[in-house]
This record gives sequence, structure tokens and C-alpha cells, in this order.
Amino acid sequence: MASQTKSRIIEKNKLTELLDKLAQDYHLIAPVQGNNVSFRRVESGSEVTLDYINTVLSSKGAFLPQTETLFRFFRDDSRGFRIETVNDADREQVVFGIRACDARSLRLMDMVFDGQYKDSCYLNRREKTTLIGLACFDHAETCFCPTFGIDPTSGEDVDILFSDIGDRYLVEASTEKGADLLNRFSEFFTELRGDEEQLREARKAGLEGMKKLDVSNIADKMAPLYGSDYWDSIGMKCLGCGICTYVCPTCHCFDIADVSVDEGGERFRCWDSCMFPEFTLMASGENPRADRKARVQQRFFDKLKYFHDRYGELACVGCGRCIRYCPVNIDITQIIEDVTSGKVGNE
Amino acid sequence: MKATSEEVQTTVKKLFEAGNIAHFIGYEKGSYNLRVTPCFLKSGQAASRLVWNPLCANNLSKYLLDFKNVEGKVGIMVKGCDSRSVVELLKANQIERDKIFIVGVPCSGIMDKEKLLEVLGISLGEVVEVEDDGDTFLVTLKEGKQRVEKEKVLRGECLVCKYPTPVVYDVLLGEAVSSLPWVGDDYSLIKEQEALSSEEKALYWNREFSQCIRCYACRNVCPVCTCSECIFDKKAPRWLSKANNVSENLVYHLIRAFHVAGRCVDCGECERACPMNIPLRSLNKKVEKDLLELFDYTAGIDVEQQPPLTTYQVGDLDEFL
Amino acid sequence: MSENIYLPRMATIQSMRPETIDVTTFRVTIDGSDGAGKFEYKSGQFAEVSLLGVGEAPIAISSSPTRPEAIEFSIRRVGELTTGLHELEPMDEIGIRGPFGNFFPLEEMEGQNLLIVGGGIGLSPLRSVIFNVLDNRGKYGKIDIIYGARSPQDLTFTSEYKEWQEVDNVRLHLTVDSGDEEWKGNVGLVPTFLKEINPSPENTTSITCGPPIMIKFVIEALRELGFSSEHIITTLERRMKCGVGKCGRCNIGSKHVCLDGPVFTLKQLEEIPSD
Repeated sequence: MASQTKSRIIEKNKLTELLDKLAQDYHLIAPVQGNNVSFRRVESGSEVTLDYINTVLSSKGAFLPQTETLFRFFRDDSRGFRIETVNDADREQVVFGIRACDARSLRLMDMVFDGQYKDSCYLNRREKTTLIGLACFDHAETCFCPTFGIDPTSGEDVDILFSDIGDRYLVEASTEKGADLLNRFSEFFTELRGDEEQLREARKAGLEGMKKLDVSNIADKMAPLYGSDYWDSIGMKCLGCGICTYVCPTCHCFDIADVSVDEGGERFRCWDSCMFPEFTLMASGENPRADRKARVQQRFFDKLKYFHDRYGELACVGCGRCIRYCPVNIDITQIIEDVTSGKVGNE
Repeated sequence: MKATSEEVQTTVKKLFEAGNIAHFIGYEKGSYNLRVTPCFLKSGQAASRLVWNPLCANNLSKYLLDFKNVEGKVGIMVKGCDSRSVVELLKANQIERDKIFIVGVPCSGIMDKEKLLEVLGISLGEVVEVEDDGDTFLVTLKEGKQRVEKEKVLRGECLVCKYPTPVVYDVLLGEAVSSLPWVGDDYSLIKEQEALSSEEKALYWNREFSQCIRCYACRNVCPVCTCSECIFDKKAPRWLSKANNVSENLVYHLIRAFHVAGRCVDCGECERACPMNIPLRSLNKKVEKDLLELFDYTAGIDVEQQPPLTTYQVGDLDEFL
Repeated sequence: MSENIYLPRMATIQSMRPETIDVTTFRVTIDGSDGAGKFEYKSGQFAEVSLLGVGEAPIAISSSPTRPEAIEFSIRRVGELTTGLHELEPMDEIGIRGPFGNFFPLEEMEGQNLLIVGGGIGLSPLRSVIFNVLDNRGKYGKIDIIYGARSPQDLTFTSEYKEWQEVDNVRLHLTVDSGDEEWKGNVGLVPTFLKEINPSPENTTSITCGPPIMIKFVIEALRELGFSSEHIITTLERRMKCGVGKCGRCNIGSKHVCLDGPVFTLKQLEEIPSD
């Protein structure tokens, strides 16, 4: 249960100093301007940029790193092995500047990594991370999070929400964890002046025109479309690269591999993509998804049906990254509209 | 004058009607502002979807191999750079010349939408349309119109393009363009990079490759990356894992640059597709420069001219491997 | 927090018995004082077998939990990992994670006749069932085992056939796709052979495993013979990496082969996409 603690404000000129302090006490992950804006580990507040609608790479990497060592092993004697665990996931983290879509995506990822088998690598990181969200008062052409019941100005999926209301940030804790952190750094925050809600409401004007699609019962609507020629036309365009899956905040597929070094080595896991042709290729040579049509179909069925059938939620948060970065403009909103309007299956 | 969308639509409709083609690969309007998307047609009925405008960046020749074993001739729309990739595919016997019907469109530059938004200081939502107007682009906004000099907002590969008119075609739509006025020394950036010290070069590329996420989009969008099983996908032997680190990233990019050497025509798709904005073109451009200087060779011009790395002549610098 | 589910336990190879030119049965015991007793599994489950430094692969457990002294895996050499495993020797160590997946509903099948249909290496998980039911003979009716391979040299577990057939009311029907001068048995594909044997579906459950194409035709044949879809059970093969439903690779529709399978009844298969 989220607990509402007293809201505070922080003057804009104090933010960098706060981030400096956070970087000292925690592993701080925040948006950084490199070739583009993506989440990276920062050592100081000056590395952080807030000049973005959304980052290119989501915050997914803070919990499921692109490459993660699972364990190391060493040859014990001529026949045996000794295994050594790695305690990478054991430090306190703060992820700063996460948008509502990414924050929601973490709840969806939790469903995968928890459950009958608990993935401690992911879950440890989640437990040891305080999420500081940044409310949206602007949107890209490709954003459509309201489709999934996400409020871009809400902090419901984070521990603390920062809202830029003009000359200062409104700071609200939505969990105990968030409230703790605010207390620990209380010297940076001051009391509300009284006009914060008003200012916030005014800022929401920037969200006007955000796409909100109708996805009611889409999982059921998808069912009869399995095998439809519609996926052929999308499969033809698709290049089979991994961009959509890598920028997607809810894509969690990974590969596991070993690497040998001298008399030992390590086993690691790394991001993989269902769009790659050899994803489902078996050693015998069989490949249940041998063509692009099958893989493209799998991706959209997973996001709009399979995940829902299994976990009760759709696996898309409307961040729009796949739309923006797909080199051939395959657009999930177009697919959603085609499916819900009944256009598919009636050709 | 540049061909209009309508001219393209009429031409393609006629081609289908006359039975010249059974399929067509072109461009159609994308799903939001300033996007176009590949369009696959099986008849002239939907030809009205086709467009030709300064946003048509995709190199459609990538899709030709999908039609290799499909019945019927496939028509394709190509700009100058795209036609050169087609020449390379023909050279390598990847596709038969009489399998394709090439609709050539002379091009005077494709727009980089990020540059446009920056130069005009606007957001994507404000743009309605972009038209080609000689040396400038005419941009229709939600409120009003603006004119912007092409040179300021063109894609990098268009700024150095020496072949704006397709070098191979069955029909040419629009007036041929012999040269583009802003093109000067197309290797100026490469020469700057060559002048750096080894340490500086290493620093530069390590920094760039540390941002690579190994999505393989550069490989998958490249029209001359045609191996049915890519070396980087092989499990036995496993040349590269999927682990992301600078060392493996470097190996991937350098090997790919060598694999496409002599076949890359600088269509710029790799750089356009890269979500991490890595300046991939400069790698391939450097190889292109070396091939020109060492072997007097330019890719994608003459079907009969074999790539230097796959042919051996007695006067070559090294002994045959 | 909870232990790392990706850490394998080390096991020592006790013996390696070649079944065919490319299939070997590895008999292993888990390291540590409790040995195999600590690795509790049911027929139909699989384990992720590691050769540290090379990789990990999902392998069906071919031994029966009724014989807990050791765990057995019958592994065909197809790739880098399995080749590496074949090059090991007794007393070498391998890693084991698991057991994973669901299992054959042997309890529900008590009191019924069993028809076990295998092809090639597919007999491996079925062998776990065979020894399991033979060790619990009184609980089941008549048992028919139909097994075929490409050639006589590809038949697996030949050294055990005598033991199976010596048990009361157990019949073994062998066939090969193509025979040789010495082969005296049936020659023909498994699905065809199955139809010729014409087993009755009355009070019978059939379990089948083998190459995908064989499973497809066996299921068709069983339907023709009158078996209902709840009484046809198979075990599916998919590329599985994590074995615990996280890596997203083995899904068929919303089902994960590593969690909801690999054992499926035909009825369940009919409800999921035909991937």
C-alpha cells in the first residue's frame, strides 16, 4: 500500500547538488546525453540531463542489464568445478527520471521474474532500488500511454515523483521507501507554498492530444487472427533486427551462454530478441518460427494477448519507442486500430 | 522537375495493367508525421497509396531477395543510391536482371527530420508536409509555411552524393539530375579522421562502440548484407556471443565493414536505422576511399566491374591468400 | 534473498553407456552427501545440463524416480554442448539445474492399459515412464511399447528390451524405417506400424514422443483408432534456456513449454496456437 507522506518542493538550482549526493550514497542511474539520451550510471549530478521527452533506452537495463554475469566457475582439480556467485545485485540503487510508462513496465516485468521461480538477480535489484519518477507535461507524437490506463503525471508506480511545475519541482513520495529517502535528504527540500496543485494542473495542458486507443478485449479480438495474412504484410516490411525488442521496456527475453577463460570462466545472460531468426532454432535444425511472418505475429500476439492470458495485463505501456525507432515504421498503434476496428480478418 | 507521387502511381498502375510486373515495392505514407513506410503491392488497385517525397529514405532494394523465388516480375522504386545497391546485387548474382523492373527516380536529397526540427526550432507535431522545391524544402506547418535550405537539413549521405540519378533503370520518372550543387569533397570528414593519432582514433571509436546495443539493425537494413546465415548468428563456431561489451562490439562493426567492402554504396541506411546515433557511415566511407585510391574502384556503377576483394590480378599488392 | 535459480548443482558421471553411434546414456549422482536422493523428480521432467565453459541444454530425464540411486540422461550428440558431453569420462563433473517442467500424469493412469509409442531418441523420456510403471506393475493394465528408429543401429536401450519383456503382460513391438541383412523384425514407419498393430483404445492412455513429424502422424493414427484427446499424451521439444519461464523463448501461445509442459495432452495442444 502506498502511503502518502507530506509533499515537499525542491528549488531547481538545488537539483544538481541533490543528485551529487545521491550518486555518492547510491548507485545512481539517470538519463545522460550521449549520442542520445539514455539511462546510464552517473557519478555526479552534472552528467544528468532532463532535456528529453523519453529516453531511447528504457530503465529496463537497471534491473535486467544487457549483459549480466550469473556466476563464475573455476576448475577445482582435473575433473571438478567450483562455482562462485557474483553479488552484483546487492547494492542500493536509485533510478532517477523514470517516466510513468517505464515505471508501469517494471510492474509488468515483476510478474515475469517473480512467480513460481523467483529470479533473485532481477528481484534483488528491484528491492534495492528507489524509483524517482519524472512527471510528463509534454508528449511525443508516438506516445500513447493513456491507452493502458497510465497517467503520465502520476507517481503510482514509483517511490517518489518529481513534477516540474515551472520554477520548482513538486516532490511527492508514494511509498515508505520514497518517504525514507526524502527524510534522509531533507535538507534539500522545503515546504509547499500552496499554489503547487494549481501550477501542476496548468502544466497538464501539454498533454492534450495524447493518443488513447481502445484496447478493451483486444486479447480476445486477437485470437481468431492467428495465421492471418495480415501478419504477412507486416512480416514483409520487417527487417528482423532487434531494435523494437531492445528499446521496449517490457521485453525481457534473454539468452544464457558460457565463456571460458583459462581454467575457468563465467556464465552470463544477455538480451536476446524473438525477432532474430535463430531465436527458436533447436540443435536438431527444427525452427518453429522459421519465417518473419511467424516471428512478427509472435511479437504482437505476445504483447496484446499471450502476456494477458498468462498474467492478466497487456504487455505494452504505450511508450512509443518501437514506433519511433523502427526503421520501416511498423506501428503497434496501427495494428491495435486494425485489430479493434475489425479490419483484420475481413480482407 | 522531380516526379510527383501521382506520376509514380500512374506509371505503376500501367505496369501492372500491361503485365510488366506482378509485384511492386514502393513507398507509402507512414503512420505519423514525416514517416514513410515500404509499400508492397500485388496489383495496380492500390497504386494510389504510393508516394514519392523528400522523406523516402528507405533503400528498398533490401527486399528484392525476398522475391527471388516468388513467381512474377517484381517492380521496384529506386533513387540513385538504391540503384547502385541493385547493381551490387546483380554483380553478386543475388538476383537476375530480368526478374526485376526498375522504376528509377532521380533524387535531389532526402531530408533528415531531426535536423529539420532543430533548424526550425519546432516539434514534430507541428509539421504537416514537406515538399521538394529545387534548392530548398517547402515545409507546411500547422500554422503557416516555411522554406529551408536543403543543405541545412539533408541526410549526411545526400550531402556527399555523386549519383543522384539511378545508374540502372527500366523507366526513369522525372528529369535526370547530373550533380547536386552542395557536393564538394565527399571525403573531407574521413580525411579529418585519418589525421587523428591512433590514440585519438581509439578513444573516439571506443566511445562510440560503447553505446552500441548490438541490435543488428545496421546489418539487417543493409541491402548488401545478404548472407543467408550471418557469421555473427552462427553457434558453431561461435564467433561472437550476444554479450555487449566494447571489445565484441568493435569486432562486429569492423568485420561487417570489411564484409561489405567494395559493395557498400553509402546509402546511409545503417546510420539512419541506428537507434544510438553511431556514425557508422564513416567506417564504410573510409573503406570506400581506400578502395578508390588503391584499386580505382567505385561500388555500384558498372555491373561488369567486379569488387577488388573478390578478384585477383597479377599486379595486386599482396599475394593471393 | 532467495537462492540464484541459475546456479547448477554439480554431479559426477558414474558411467556412460553408448546406446547408438550418437546417443549415450549418462548415469550421474549429485555431489554432496545426499546424492540423488536430494534430486526428486517425476517421469516426464527435464533438467538443464551444463558443461561449464561450453553451455547448458535441456535434457529429458531418462531414469525413473523409482530407482533413486542415480539419475540418467540419454543424450544425442548434435551440437557443441552435446559433443563436449560425449567427450567426458566417468568421474568428470557436469552441472544440473532442475528438475523442471511438468510430468506424465501416471497416477491418473492407474488402472488403465498403457500404449507407449516412441521414435528414435524420443524413447528417452518414455524410458522413465517404462521403468516407473514396471516398478509399479500392479497399478496398471496391459502395457504395449511400440518403438522404431531409422535403422537397427539407431535403436536405443537395446540392452534393456529383455528386462522389459520379461515382465508380465508387457509387449514390445519394434520396427525400423529401413532394415539390414540381420534385421528380422518389422520394417516400416512407426505410425504405419501402429495402425497395423491396431491397439484398442478401451481404457487405454497413449504416451508418445519422437521427432515432431512422427508425433504428428502418430497422433493422427491414434485418433483414427478411436483414442480421445484426453488420452493422448505427448512431450514437446523446444529450445529452452532458463527452464523457469523467464527467458521467453519456449512459449507456444501463452504456455511455456518449460513450465506448463513439456508434457501436454492432445486436448491441451488443441487449445494453443499451432506453432
